Amino acid sequence: MDSNTKNNDRTLEVKKTGQGEGFFQSVREIFNYREMINAFIRRDLRGRYKGSVLGFLWTFINPLLQLCVYSIVFSVILNQPEEKYYLFLFVSLIPWIFFSSSVQGGSTCIIAYKDMVKKIYFPREVLPIATVTTNFVNMLLCFIVIFGVVIFSGTPLNPLALLCLIPVFAVEYILALGMAFLVSAVTVYLRDMEHILGIVLMAWQYLTPVLYGFNIVPEEFKVLFSLNPMTPVITAYRDILYYHKIPDLFTLVSALIMGVIILIIGWITFSKLKRRFAEEL
Amino acid sequence: MEIKETEKKEVPYFIEIDDVYKSFRVYKDKGTELKDKILFKHRNNYTRHKVIDGISIKIRPGEAVGFVGHNGCGKSTLLKMISRIIYPDKGTITTRGRISGLIELGAGFHPDMTGRENIYTNAAIYGLSKKEIDKRLENIIEFSGLRKYIDTPVRTYSSGMYMRLGFSVAINVDAEILLIDEILAVGDGEFQNKCFNELKAIKERGKTIVIVSHSLDQIEEICDKSYWINDGVIKMEGSPKDVHAAYLAGIGNPGVEI
Repeated sequence: MDSNTKNNDRTLEVKKTGQGEGFFQSVREIFNYREMINAFIRRDLRGRYKGSVLGFLWTFINPLLQLCVYSIVFSVILNQPEEKYYLFLFVSLIPWIFFSSSVQGGSTCIIAYKDMVKKIYFPREVLPIATVTTNFVNMLLCFIVIFGVVIFSGTPLNPLALLCLIPVFAVEYILALGMAFLVSAVTVYLRDMEHILGIVLMAWQYLTPVLYGFNIVPEEFKVLFSLNPMTPVITAYRDILYYHKIPDLFTLVSALIMGVIILIIGWITFSKLKRRFAEEL
Repeated sequence: MEIKETEKKEVPYFIEIDDVYKSFRVYKDKGTELKDKILFKHRNNYTRHKVIDGISIKIRPGEAVGFVGHNGCGKSTLLKMISRIIYPDKGTITTRGRISGLIELGAGFHPDMTGRENIYTNAAIYGLSKKEIDKRLENIIEFSGLRKYIDTPVRTYSSGMYMRLGFSVAINVDAEILLIDEILAVGDGEFQNKCFNELKAIKERGKTIVIVSHSLDQIEEICDKSYWINDGVIKMEGSPKDVHAAYLAGIGNPGVEI
C-alpha cells in the first residue's frame, strides 16, 4: 500500500480496498483534503445567513438573546447570588453553545450531504471536522464580544490567565470533535439519534455548571459531576474570564484525558461505520 | 504530462480489479428508527442480493473502457467500488493516482456563492489543494465558457450552465482515473463536442477513462475496449463494436438503446 509510483510531478497514491486503512494513512488523507475542510467552513459561515436581513449578525444575536433570557430568569426571578450574573453566565454559555451545536450539528452532517456521500469519494471525516471547526470559529467570533463585555464590566484582565484560554480551547475542541465523530456515524444507522440528542444535550446542559457555579453543587454529587468532561472545561473558562485566575491544572488535565478517550472512541466508531455509509443512506 | 514510451512498460495498471464480489442487503421494510431496531431486533428483514459475482479487470494508463449491460447488471456498482464509495465483500481493487468522476456534477455548489467561489469548493471535494486550484482556475473558467457570469451567484445560472461549470471542474482535476456515469449529455451540441474532444485528449495524455453508458455510440467513439456485464459477471469483452453487436443481438432488440 505504501509503494507509490512516480508520475511526473506528482506521486501517485496507490489505494487498495479490502484491507483496513491505517490510522496514519487516514490522517494523511484528511490532511490532503484540507482545502475541502476550508471550503466547507467558508461556505457554512458565509452561506448560513445569506438571504436573512441581519445576515452574519445572527452569529452574535442568537447567543445574546439566550443570554438575556437566562439572565432575566436567573437573576431577577430566581435571585441568583452571583454578582454580575450576566457575565458569570456569558463566559460559560458561549463555550457551551459551541459544544452543543457541534454535537447536534455533527449528528446530521453526514445525512445532510447524503447525495455527495453516495456519489463522490472523499474522506468522510471531513464532514464532522468541518462542522465542529465552523462552530469553533463561531465561538471565537463570539469571544470578541466576550472580551468587550469583560473589559466594559470594569475588571482588569489577567494576561497570564488569558494565555490559559488556548489549552482550554484545545481541550473543548477535542471533546466536541470526538462526540461529533461518534454521533455522526451512529446517526446514519439510527436516525432517532438526532432527536434523542436534543433531550440528552438539554439534560447535559443542566448537569454541567453552565447556569450555576460548581461550588453550589451538593458535596455528594461533586464526584459524579467531575466525571462529566464538560464540567472542568466550563469551570476553567469561568476561572479565566470571570474570576481572572489561572484554572486548576489537575482538572484541566483530567478533562484532556477524558477528551482524548472520547476522541479515540469516536474515531474508531467512525472508522468502522464509514465503509457502509453509502449503502445505508 | 506525457508518459514516455520507455516508461510505459514500467507503469503498472491504473486500475486492477481482482476477483471482486459484492452483494447488497435488500431490506423488505427498512427500519432505521429505534422502535424498529428494538422491536424487530431478531428479525432478519433483508435478503442478500448478489450484484457483482466475481469480476477481474485490469486497465492500463491511456486506456479507455466502457461497461455496458442492462439496468441492474452491476456496472454502476463496479464504478462506485473503483472510486471507493462502496467496498467489495471479497476481492481487492487497486487504483493508482487521483480519481475524478463525472458522476455528481457540481457537488457542494452553494446557490448564493459565485461561480468562482463554487469552483474552489467543488474542486476541493476532489482533493485539490488551494494552490492546485489556483493553477487550474483559468482553464476551468475558459473551458466552461462562462467567463461573463463567473462572478455572479450560481442560483442565477440555468441548469445547463450549472452542469457546464461542474463538468469543467471535474474534467480539469487532472486525475489519473476519470469515471463517467451516464452524463455525457451536458449542455448543447457544441459543448458536448468540446467534451468529447477533451476526453480524447485526456486519454492521449495517458490517463484512464471508464465509462458506464447506455449510449453505445459514445462508448464506441472514445473507448478501446468494452465489457458486457450481465448478472454480475463479464459476459463478453473485446472491441466495442464486437461486444455491442453481441450485446444488442443478445437482448433481442437490435438498434435499440436500452
